[in-house]
Amino acid sequence: MTTQPDSNKVNIIQVEDLRKSYGDLKAVDSVSFAVGAGEVFGILGPNGAGKTTTVEILEGMREPDSGTALVNGIDVQKYPREVKKVIGIQLQSSAFFDRLNLAEILDVMASIYRRQINAMELLGTVELADRAKSLFRDLSGGQKQRFSVASTLVNDPVLLFLDEPTTGLDPQARRHMWELIQRFKSEGRTVLLTTHYMEEAAELCDRVAIMDHGKIVAIDRPAALVDNLISRGFEKERVESLANLEDVFLDITGRALQD
Amino acid sequence: MRIWFRDKQAIFWTFFLPVVLISVFGLLDFGAFSTVDLGIVDRANNETSQKLEANVRALDAFDIADTTTEAEELEALLDGDRNLLLIIPPGFGENGAPEQRQVTVIFNQGQPQASATGQSIIQSVLDEITFAEGQITDRYHIDARAADSRNLRFIDFLMPGVVAMSIMQMGLFSVAFSFVQLKSRGILRRLQATPVLPASFIFAQVFTRLTVSIVQTLVLVGLAVVAFDVNLQGNLFSMLLLALLGGAVFVSMGFAVSGFARTEDVAAPIANAIALPMMFLSGVFFPREAMPEPLRVVADYLPLSFLADALRSVAVDGQSLWSQWDDILGSMGWLAVTFFIAVRLFRWE
Repeated sequence: MTTQPDSNKVNIIQVEDLRKSYGDLKAVDSVSFAVGAGEVFGILGPNGAGKTTTVEILEGMREPDSGTALVNGIDVQKYPREVKKVIGIQLQSSAFFDRLNLAEILDVMASIYRRQINAMELLGTVELADRAKSLFRDLSGGQKQRFSVASTLVNDPVLLFLDEPTTGLDPQARRHMWELIQRFKSEGRTVLLTTHYMEEAAELCDRVAIMDHGKIVAIDRPAALVDNLISRGFEKERVESLANLEDVFLDITGRALQD
Repeated sequence: MRIWFRDKQAIFWTFFLPVVLISVFGLLDFGAFSTVDLGIVDRANNETSQKLEANVRALDAFDIADTTTEAEELEALLDGDRNLLLIIPPGFGENGAPEQRQVTVIFNQGQPQASATGQSIIQSVLDEITFAEGQITDRYHIDARAADSRNLRFIDFLMPGVVAMSIMQMGLFSVAFSFVQLKSRGILRRLQATPVLPASFIFAQVFTRLTVSIVQTLVLVGLAVVAFDVNLQGNLFSMLLLALLGGAVFVSMGFAVSGFARTEDVAAPIANAIALPMMFLSGVFFPREAMPEPLRVVADYLPLSFLADALRSVAVDGQSLWSQWDDILGSMGWLAVTFFIAVRLFRWE
């Protein structure tokens, strides 16, 4: 099992025995893991498994009951602001100031980090340059998601948190988001993402952790997890065909973004 | 039906607001102006003047103070303890000279309703005497004069009140609404994901509003002076300081409201429930003297009353900021209370 990241690399996230309860519910129950610099790390799990709570603790937005979390070597509990300076957080549902256009919002966000940015260039990365003067609420679902990702880049973060970045997107927009995430990886950024889509995790993640009832029940490379399952004698009832319905859809409607 | 009932805004405007309005105006009871505080100075002290005074005293409409000197009566009028001062000239009604067939009524222009009611009643008493004398052509009449040599008009009374009210509206509503919106839409949460300090974000919000309150005051005062020829007696700088203080009180009140309101649906009725009664009770449009005693005692301590009174004294009466220490102290008290509540209730999401 590859439960630890490549030991040659520095760990950008180091979590030890994290716990958080809401009343009787153990939302996060003794969670430990590490993520190496430059990795794309996925946290999978059914709704209510504790993914979001775990991630929010790492982001410095929630206090754990016990345990430690180091991000980029900084104790999140002690120095949440220092951590927030070097990470980018994309929330599940993001909203932005109503009366500012996209370029203005990015400038405001950058000013929070006391940085100068080229808003147009940033919008270009997520293919929204032509919407620079639009209001956030006038964007389509996919565009909103892309803008939300762009807003996490204003401080040139070393670590990106993406919470279900492709939920509710059409196949083209989803694939575009995948390309973005791969680009972040190639730029040397670390990405921690949560998702419900297994093919997304398989496509993007170097390693995944599967959470259930607040615990990490498995952690490894996606391929290794699959191999492990097959080695235990698992067989699918029907062998998957060479193409699926999504391939048909993309073949007919094209791979280009349509919004 | 159910959809409508769940629309809290609709319920507010349909039921709550009219009920509040009726209650407020009912309690104010403009009919109660039938008791007008009157002072009488009798310079004639003859048969006709005593008859007039007796007739006036016989009416329930007037609340007549024990006669003092003319100077004291004038002062009482200026202080607002009297609505009207009736001066009966020497030799009243003794011969046909025009000045002996008129009484002087000095009124306070800051109390238009009371003075109008009082004057018309006095005129009818004068008419009675006229008819009793069998006169028809040469009526006794009133020479009405405003008490203040500065000629205080209703607009002079109104202007500082409106400035105070607009500061309240701006502080309370713009903060309560926009902050609840930032909260309910998750914008605050998005900001929480950045290293911005809560204090510096809130400071920016407050700073913006206080700047607006200064601009508001300047615009309204400017309009009043230019368009309505309001005679500005006071120091503009003192007024702006008061505007800042008032702005701070109502901005923190707005934060307090946004603290316990999760959505705009809840914030609106709360903000309105605070603002509307104050608009009517705090002497913005008419003096609080019009109110019955128990209500007036409460109204005197409302934050808008403190702000409106202080602004009015400084702007119209040309008083110094320091002389308004009691109103300023009252405002600071409210600031402390609302600030404490706002801090206690503040939440990011």
